[in-house]
Amino acid sequence: MNEILVLAEHRNGELTDITFEMLGKAGELAGAGGATVAALLLGAGVGEMAQKLTGYADEVLTVDHGNLTSFNSAVYQPIVAEVVKSRGPSMVLIGNTAFGVDLAPSLAVELDAPLASDVVGIVVDGDTFSVTRQIYEGKIDARVSFREAPTVLATVRAAAFPVEPGTKSGSVTEFAATVPEEPAMRRFVEYVEAAVGDVDISASEVIVAVGRGIKEEENMALVEELAELLGGVVGCSRPIVDAGWLPKDRQVGSSGKTVKPKLYVAVGISGQFQHLSGMKAAETIVAINKDPKAPIFSAADYGIVGDLFKIVPALKDKIAEVRA
Amino acid sequence: MNIVVCVKQVPETAEAELKIAAGGKSIVEEGLPLQINEPDNYALEEALLITEDHDGDVTVLTLGHESSEEVLRMSMAKGAATAIRVADPVFDGGDGIATARALAAALEGVEYDLVLTGCMASDDGNTQVGVALAEVLGIPHATYVTQVEVGDGEVTVGRELEGGLIEKLKISLPCVLGIQTGINEPRYASIMGIAKASKREISQLASGDMGLSADAVGEAGSGTVLEELTFPPAGEGAELLEGTPPEASGKLAEILKEKGFV
Amino acid sequence: MRVSLSEKYELLGCIQCGRCTAGCPVSLRTHLNVRRVVYDGMLGTGPKDAKGRPEAWNCTTCSNCTERCPKGVKPMELVIGLRSAAIEKGRIEPTIRDALESTLKHGNPWGRIRDKRMEWAEELNVPVAGEGEAAPLLFYVGCTPAYEPRTQSIAQSLVALFEAAGVEYSTLGTAESCCGNEIKRMGEEGLFEMLVEGNREEFGGHAVGTIVTGSPHCMNTFKNEYGEMSSDTIHYSQFLAALIRDGKLTFPKKVEKKVTFHDACFLGKHNGIYDEPREVLSSIPGVEFEEMDRSRERALCCEGGGGRMWVEAVEERGERLAETRVNDAVALGADYLVTACPFCLLTLEDAVKTSGNEGKIEIIDLAELAAMAL
Repeated sequence: MNEILVLAEHRNGELTDITFEMLGKAGELAGAGGATVAALLLGAGVGEMAQKLTGYADEVLTVDHGNLTSFNSAVYQPIVAEVVKSRGPSMVLIGNTAFGVDLAPSLAVELDAPLASDVVGIVVDGDTFSVTRQIYEGKIDARVSFREAPTVLATVRAAAFPVEPGTKSGSVTEFAATVPEEPAMRRFVEYVEAAVGDVDISASEVIVAVGRGIKEEENMALVEELAELLGGVVGCSRPIVDAGWLPKDRQVGSSGKTVKPKLYVAVGISGQFQHLSGMKAAETIVAINKDPKAPIFSAADYGIVGDLFKIVPALKDKIAEVRA
Repeated sequence: MNIVVCVKQVPETAEAELKIAAGGKSIVEEGLPLQINEPDNYALEEALLITEDHDGDVTVLTLGHESSEEVLRMSMAKGAATAIRVADPVFDGGDGIATARALAAALEGVEYDLVLTGCMASDDGNTQVGVALAEVLGIPHATYVTQVEVGDGEVTVGRELEGGLIEKLKISLPCVLGIQTGINEPRYASIMGIAKASKREISQLASGDMGLSADAVGEAGSGTVLEELTFPPAGEGAELLEGTPPEASGKLAEILKEKGFV
Repeated sequence: MRVSLSEKYELLGCIQCGRCTAGCPVSLRTHLNVRRVVYDGMLGTGPKDAKGRPEAWNCTTCSNCTERCPKGVKPMELVIGLRSAAIEKGRIEPTIRDALESTLKHGNPWGRIRDKRMEWAEELNVPVAGEGEAAPLLFYVGCTPAYEPRTQSIAQSLVALFEAAGVEYSTLGTAESCCGNEIKRMGEEGLFEMLVEGNREEFGGHAVGTIVTGSPHCMNTFKNEYGEMSSDTIHYSQFLAALIRDGKLTFPKKVEKKVTFHDACFLGKHNGIYDEPREVLSSIPGVEFEEMDRSRERALCCEGGGGRMWVEAVEERGERLAETRVNDAVALGADYLVTACPFCLLTLEDAVKTSGNEGKIEIIDLAELAAMAL
């Protein structure tokens, strides 16, 4: 096994959790295979972040350049490709994030390397690796291996692996890569913040979240009443925002908000990982869903399998009873 | 403004209890209705909307078995002018990158200004095809796109990042965009419309037509190999509260009271 | 050559007397002016589809306009025609789109999978006709009683009543598909025809003699719109009335409630079935029955039919007709407002809440009431 290379991800000068999750896993795998872990950090003014990575990698490679101020996969890709060609890692880990997904598949084509996306498990398999992915919206696990190749790529699902304390003491080296200009064919314009509404769900101790199971907009009242009863606010999964029934700032999940309330009640939400990633850290999670195999039940503390249109009204009654 | 939309037919699995087929490498599809991959449906609608404003034609392209022609017909009923199916058993079992190579070969000789496809496939959960396709075609790309504005020889797109932050980019045409759900409201395709579309031709391409050798496509041409499907381990996770709705809710209400939420 | 609306719907007989609008229940509270729609159709002016004329979606297809027209014009057909035109262009509300797509994929407009169509019967012993098995008496459940939680008890009550009367019957199980009554009225002709073909084949394959429906909507379309069928169709109220007359169904218990009855449009106005439900009601011991003022042919549409379960009324004002109905029943002092249609049941129950009458009256299906007396 050659080194495992992890592409660090950051936003607004802060390294994101996925970086440490991947490095932790890489450390575990490299340890088992007698190899080392290298972190690759691209950006402008990355000194401080590079230092933070030294606890997690044997080597921290930096490419520090003004052209890397904003993430543009068209600028990042040739650099990452150069690093890979130069160092020949056995595996490259990239976050399965909006950033990583915009880069990994084109990088895989450029390097003619196999790519497994959105992995939730990685194990050493002889002198290569085997990964676990989820398919059919989290209902089934798939074990995937790679054809023989000097380097394999994998994008890693956020929060699939834990963040452990860093035990390494790596060195920081500048990698002398050719940093291209931002190409005319793909130019960064600006970031636009998500619109802020009247309710900040991340500030609430209780969130009752609604998903596709609610079927129709006029049924939303059911969930609103439950939220009121519990002194909380209404959140939702993506399809509710897509349908225009709630504004974007009520969405919990990877492209919405990450929340850590004391109580999270998921009503009619299947629990696809994009949603789970936004609420897994809630203290107490309750799920109500018709489908006993819905992935939400694996994240919840308590669950009721059944028809939400029967359960939510009954729950409201019982809460009123128990209060009295 | 000619647009190619890459679409995929997938089984609808939302409420279904899935079964793993003998051999452990696929699910039992019998009884599961087939439909267009949801993000692709949004991509198709976006293409139709753009060509309504900017003169041009929409071509739909898919790689799939004969049943996937249903999706092509539905797309034509909605307004796509041309339909192409990459049809050859040799393409079976291809992973995202192999599929992208096949689609790129299918687009040889097709004139387009823009390629749209759903950012993700709801069956295998992959987010690879669009971005890989761009690289094979040698054109720029962006994925997780929730806003598209057509300009002069370029598009201004909004990509949705974590937390709902939008990243705006200007990309020159032609390019490939991976479309995210919610970007628009897809129209309906009537049964009569689909029946009319059934009379129109769908070009079918085999690997030979596309100048691809068997070892470059399908399972043989894939970098990843599916070994086995299993159900995620049960037993961990929620404590399920049993009984009729009043019984189960009663138990839950007690728990919530104990924890001080009520 | 495109056929004009005027030709297609034979509008030239219209004398613009306005009896149609005068009898239209929703004209009381929305912009739908069906006389105007016919006028525009005759002259070739005005919007050519429901996208351009959104109030076309407010029509409940109660057919008062058609019944009242002195010249044999069918304004309701024109309104449905405007809907069809919008459907062919794909320009319809997402909720209607979803209901239609669900019907195509899963055989029901409720977005539920086919496999779960018999969930209502889980705790019961409901016979399902196997492949090629004859079904002389078929209980056709209907999508709403099968899937909608509140109305599943209609199906369950009917099973209890059949068992009590010793009736031998079967069902199609999960092979049962939408009858298409609402699909036709939403304007999706192509999908309706597909459903007709599929259902006729299904009925033929089981040599069905008599179909007893759980919903008057299903009865209406099988009886009137499916063409020549070797099976005949009746609504469950007619079936129960016959069982009672023959002495096969008796009610050992009393139901001591004051009740009134709401005549569903598809049972009453469309098919003239007024007496049989009343026969069933009067056979239930303990029931004190009083007629509402607007009953039988004069009953007030609840606004649940014609696709209205899947689309919000456009620009409505004032009290919903279902709320008026509930208030009428409350004014009578009734404990139960009884109906024999699942859409009426759901719409009226909603209206009990929105009219502030919760706790004052309950909406009960005729089958549920009868089952209470078993």
